[in-house]
Amino acid sequence: MDTAIQIVIGGLLQGSVFAIVALGFSLVFRVTGAINLSQGAFCIIGALVTYSLQESFGWPVALAAAGAAAVTAATGLAIGAAVFVPALSRLPVSSMLIMTAGLLTLLEGLTLVVWGSQPYALPPFSGEAPIEWLGVRVPTQGFWIAGVTAAVIFGLWYLLMRTAAGKALRACAENPMAARLMGIDVPRVTLASFVLAAFIGGLGGIVVGPITSLQFDTGRFFTIFGFIAVAMGGIGSFIGAVVGGLLLGVVEQLAAGYISSMFANSLAFGLLLVVLLWRPNGLFASGLARRTDVREGQRIYPPIVRLKGRRAAILGAIAVLVALALPNFIPSVSVMSSLVITCILFIALLGLDILMGYAGQVSLGQAGFMAIGGYAAALLATGYGWSPLAGTAAGMLLSVACATVLSLFTMRLRGHYLALATLAFGLLVDSFAIGLTDVTGGPSGLVGIPAFAIGSLVFDTSTKMYYFLVALIVVIVLLLHGGVRSGFGRALQAVRTDQTAASALGINVARYKLIALSISAALASLAGSLYAFYFHFLSPEMVGMPRSLELIAMLVLGGEGTLVGPLIGAALLTLLPTIIQPLAAYKTFATGALLVLAVRYLPGGIYGAAVHRLGRLIGRRAAAGELR
Amino acid sequence: MSASALEVVRLAKTFGGLRAVDDVSFTVPHGSLTALIGPNGAGKTTVFNLITNFFRPDAGEARFYGTSLAGLAPGHIAALGLVRTFQSARIFPGMTTLENALVGAHLQVRTGPMGQMLWLPAAGREERALTHRAEALLDLVGLAADRDIPATELPMGAQKLLEVVRALMARPRLLLLDEPAAGLNDSETAELAALLRAVRANGITVALVEHNMSLVMGVADQVVVLDAGKLLASGTAMQMQSDARVIEAYIGQDAEAA
Repeated sequence: MDTAIQIVIGGLLQGSVFAIVALGFSLVFRVTGAINLSQGAFCIIGALVTYSLQESFGWPVALAAAGAAAVTAATGLAIGAAVFVPALSRLPVSSMLIMTAGLLTLLEGLTLVVWGSQPYALPPFSGEAPIEWLGVRVPTQGFWIAGVTAAVIFGLWYLLMRTAAGKALRACAENPMAARLMGIDVPRVTLASFVLAAFIGGLGGIVVGPITSLQFDTGRFFTIFGFIAVAMGGIGSFIGAVVGGLLLGVVEQLAAGYISSMFANSLAFGLLLVVLLWRPNGLFASGLARRTDVREGQRIYPPIVRLKGRRAAILGAIAVLVALALPNFIPSVSVMSSLVITCILFIALLGLDILMGYAGQVSLGQAGFMAIGGYAAALLATGYGWSPLAGTAAGMLLSVACATVLSLFTMRLRGHYLALATLAFGLLVDSFAIGLTDVTGGPSGLVGIPAFAIGSLVFDTSTKMYYFLVALIVVIVLLLHGGVRSGFGRALQAVRTDQTAASALGINVARYKLIALSISAALASLAGSLYAFYFHFLSPEMVGMPRSLELIAMLVLGGEGTLVGPLIGAALLTLLPTIIQPLAAYKTFATGALLVLAVRYLPGGIYGAAVHRLGRLIGRRAAAGELR
Repeated sequence: MSASALEVVRLAKTFGGLRAVDDVSFTVPHGSLTALIGPNGAGKTTVFNLITNFFRPDAGEARFYGTSLAGLAPGHIAALGLVRTFQSARIFPGMTTLENALVGAHLQVRTGPMGQMLWLPAAGREERALTHRAEALLDLVGLAADRDIPATELPMGAQKLLEVVRALMARPRLLLLDEPAAGLNDSETAELAALLRAVRANGITVALVEHNMSLVMGVADQVVVLDAGKLLASGTAMQMQSDARVIEAYIGQDAEAA
């Protein structure tokens, strides 16, 4: 019994931090309608700055904590003012989500550059000795956590309900247009909410630091669990955020204590799915029904990038010829290897483009499908003597099955639920890959995977693999192009921009989302299998969440909804760090920064901008010809 | 086989305390062009939303050629041949004018995604035939020259005409148009009137919500008048023009005194 109480207390402490992150989510969502995935990164910044101020500058803990909270708020102010708030009025909500994924990556990269990749542990505020009462031991830090959480909840309630600033904030949440007409400076209030959320996140990180192992990338776990907490509680509900966070913490600790720490994440994910099925809007839904026959706020969509039939065919043929000749001009083995990786990732990106670029559904867990494909094919090939081809096919089927289950959970929901479900799915697959050590080899990975082969044709060198991939990509591009230029592509695009109007024309929205997700899952799985066969090795970090975010960055940078554009993004982000080695340490930071910049300033990606230029050039020449 | 394309039977819907639609019944005869008119807030658009199940009615139902539409998903209703447009032209951003028109033909496409991906000759033939029809319809409303520009760059009036074209591409049996003339200039309104007559001549039944009286008087066979959620009167355009209750609803109580 004592153990149970002990675990529940641990869970409540853990849950307090989830609740704090969830409150930050809720605050920003209420005011802006956008989900800020970078929320968890502020926790890590808060904790690590506290560490540095204490260890490197010798500041006392209170001063260090105050300084760190101020630094976090300042970071929030800089990002909010320079990036987040200006983008709000210019981007669709799904692009905002991608952009905040970029901010998360950027902040992780920044943390990596400043603090390196080693784990940190903060000393507890009030000594190591836990307080014992009736046989239950509570670490002193627990009182700090509980106290700060309570203070944050009370402070937020007081601010929102009892002050003029809070009233302005609520007004912006209810109706930004009316708030603006009433003379409220909406961008400023929005910025204030963003900074406040960052500050709250920082506080959470500071108090939880002493009982958590901190690393540059721990922020994403705060983001994910805060996100799950908020989705369980009901997006936009403050009580829901607190209850969701505490519930999640307790369930997670109980699972870790009684089953295994590996299943803690799985259970958190399962809990989320149960809540989403039972109460799609969360436990404490705000209950506001929206009219669906009136379009929600006009947003700017990316420009239309179309190459006409003949021109596309000529350019495509040239591109294939260049690709075939390319290996003759590659000087080093490492660049050749990067070229192969570029091609493999491009296969996953083709699927992601169908899902995100055409159907407008954000997936934050594509690497999860890559992992399924990679591990399934590798395990079947090494352990059961399956041929690589059969193993790859099995992985693809398994991935499509997972995609189908995911869409069953999310298809009747609008908004960010697919993004949420895929994020949790990626995490789940990752936790299995790390946790099932006997099967997957755990964190150290799976070795001895054979080369890819079709019958007696073995692709055991980079060059052979490269030519095989070029052929495979040509086939996939032709298939997908045939689809997107026809009714299939139009239906997907209709689903992306206006589901209400699409369904009024008889388009089965759920079906098309399912098809798009299945295609993306199958291609990601295929890429994952090829990846494992090429390296003869597969470890969880090769197909973890950073990979998912990297794929999104490549897609957006190259050009969403263009099919071939993402190749440019994949080539840039894969080849550049290989060619310019010193850049490698800044890769995460650069990936995040490029993603943010591309979402904000390059709506059609590099490919879109290039085609636009080309079109203008040809248009000008044609006009000149007519004049002559 | 029922003679009426649409029977609206005692539809009712309350929002909060407001009886937006209160026991409204009317029929749209097959092959007719019926206009639903009434002052702002009379519940016209809500009636459309109830018929197409964008809102769930509190009571009553709509029957389409005898089939009850109660509980059917909007996509299912479209598949039966009842296609609607929206008050605020909901054309798809990110697509050209022609592509927008082609989306309307979604239910007409016979080759599935698989056939299209495999570049089957049948898919190509079908695509060319649909494009041909879309071009003909765009030509009819004067949008043929704009086929390859992003549809969001069209002026508001053209976007509304495009939405009607898109609905026609679905080959509907009954077309529900929600204020198609709102935002149209005079020449565009004339094009719309011509289009509506052509539509009726092709055997497609039309019901529209409209404020533009000259358009209603020019094309409607039957006019249904709503006021404050209730059915006020129905009959021919001429009858409605001289109906005292209708005049009162529009102009107010002092109309007779003046």
